[in-house]
Amino acid sequence: MADSVAGSEQATGTRWTLPVRYGFLVLIAAFVVFFATMNPVFLHGGNLMNIVEGSAILLIVALGMTLIVSTGGIDLSVGIALDFGAAFAVVAMKEFGVDWYTAALIGIAGGSLVGLLNAGLVVGLKVSPFLATLGTFFIGSSVQRIFTNGGGPISHRRMPQEYRDLAVGDIFGIPTEVVIAGVICLIYFVVLERSIIGRRVHALGMQRSAANVAGLKVNRYLIACFIVASMTCAVGGLIASANIRMFTPLSGFAYLLDAIAAVFIGAALHPRGRPNVPGTLVAVLFLSVVTNGLNLMGLNFNTKDALSGIILVSVLALAVAQRKLR
Amino acid sequence: MPDSVATRPGGFDLRRAVGMAPVAIFVAMLIYIGFNAPNFLTWSTIQLVLSQSVPVVVVCLGLSVVVMAGGDDVVSGGIDLSVPATAILCAGIIAQQVTLAEQPLFLAAMLAFGAALIVGALNGFLVTRIGMTPLLTSLAMFVAVVGVNNVITASRRIDIDAPLILFLRDDRIVGLPAGVAIALVLCVVFVFAIHHTKWGLNLQAVGGSREAAEVSGLRPSHFLFWSFVIAAFAGFLASFFVLARGSGSSPGTEDNLLLEMVLATFLGASFSPRRVVTVWGAVLGAVLVAALSIGFKSMGVNVFWTGLIKGSLILIVVALGAASQRMR
Repeated sequence: MADSVAGSEQATGTRWTLPVRYGFLVLIAAFVVFFATMNPVFLHGGNLMNIVEGSAILLIVALGMTLIVSTGGIDLSVGIALDFGAAFAVVAMKEFGVDWYTAALIGIAGGSLVGLLNAGLVVGLKVSPFLATLGTFFIGSSVQRIFTNGGGPISHRRMPQEYRDLAVGDIFGIPTEVVIAGVICLIYFVVLERSIIGRRVHALGMQRSAANVAGLKVNRYLIACFIVASMTCAVGGLIASANIRMFTPLSGFAYLLDAIAAVFIGAALHPRGRPNVPGTLVAVLFLSVVTNGLNLMGLNFNTKDALSGIILVSVLALAVAQRKLR
Repeated sequence: MPDSVATRPGGFDLRRAVGMAPVAIFVAMLIYIGFNAPNFLTWSTIQLVLSQSVPVVVVCLGLSVVVMAGGDDVVSGGIDLSVPATAILCAGIIAQQVTLAEQPLFLAAMLAFGAALIVGALNGFLVTRIGMTPLLTSLAMFVAVVGVNNVITASRRIDIDAPLILFLRDDRIVGLPAGVAIALVLCVVFVFAIHHTKWGLNLQAVGGSREAAEVSGLRPSHFLFWSFVIAAFAGFLASFFVLARGSGSSPGTEDNLLLEMVLATFLGASFSPRRVVTVWGAVLGAVLVAALSIGFKSMGVNVFWTGLIKGSLILIVVALGAASQRMR
């Protein structure tokens, strides 16, 4: 089947087929060369480490998103789960003086509330994931405003060093946040791409009614996916709050669009167009390369913002076009 | 099985009750506000509500055309989240050109019109030629367009006092605020074009069932493409009302416009007998959302709570919609 499609492509092959087919790899290479010529610092070891470190939280959030998109849905409330993770952990340490690991667990539990609400809406009330998580997003944002009296940050300067080390420490010379993101990425890869559980998640994303007929406990899987995804995002929140020693309300929103873009770019790189962990990883690194490169060019904040938006649209278009021509 | 329960003759029609519930909830909330907020049910407040809702109404016109052409599945069907961004971009271009570059309004409007056409055509191209889903396309376009607008306006507020904008804001036509009257005319034009012309009915046919439309000789991609261009055009039109409402362009207006547009359009669907997105439904939804916002404000409800209330409303409305679908 795939062969015949490729064959017909070659038969009718226009001169655009080849560049578009490898377009994405060419594009990454082009960006790297471009940034390196604009500023030689770009390729220095320290800066490359910056890129990897800077993509840790986005990778964690994008993995949660990958899981939800694999089930055939979308999650607009990943940022809320991240905020809740940070808020619960910081408040637990500041107001109740709990240990750092208890705080981390409380943060993850707090994030899971978001997934629980989503699961209730999607599975219980049969609301479509887009509208359900949009509602969760508004409610979660509003709750944060009410709780912080309008959105003021909750800072905790004297947080335990161990908690702070989640962001600034290192394990055998590798920054802790990179290690955490790497471990989560590995777990996601094994479970989602190499286990029977992952097969089932993909099955219910591709053909829900078929999966149901085949005896899959569809609802149970959906509930679990929403909760796991929000807990994953909450881990991102822990790192973010450890990094700046405070909880900043509504800061998770910044990751939403990049996470969605990463998942869909990654899916477009997959032969069958499925969201997948390695694709998400490549896409996250690509987005971080662009952000870092634009930063090093010393552009005005607004210009940088507009450029990364335009690059996002072009890259998504290219990734989708590439899959169609493969 | 549920059918026999729902349509028992002469008995309590559960499905209709669930279907009417969103409307009932809104009416109940408005009555509650009317009793608790002084002067809420006066002509001047109603005019204020109508004036405030005009930008949302006009972007809703655009979104509803895309939804009708692409089908109402949010993820795989038609949706255009970039309309509010287009409106803000056009407002930014007009304000920047008129106030800072001191160009005549007509020239500024032409520039904005061109920008809107580019956004609409790009959306249409990405969806119909490249094959991206409308949700992803328009979400990414939203970000890009807002970014471009921030470059144009340098993320600053720009006042505008062009006569046309002041006319929309302050003058009256046959007893109605000028902006409201003109928006009403726009609504009639859109409704006529979509619900009463051959082209509009074909467009709805494409959205209803793409396969059936294709078999009967319609080109779905043609209608899908033009629906995005029309939506961007609605964004362009909305920009004048955005400028009139805010007496200029301010950064960050797009988020609230996006929220209210989605809420109004899907709320509007729950008013229609077949639970589909319609132009009038979207317009009614936009007015009700504005009425609630102003009502809560005049009741003295803490402004931080409004997001919570609106979010819950979206969820209640779509959950009831889903419930009544299942009872069918």
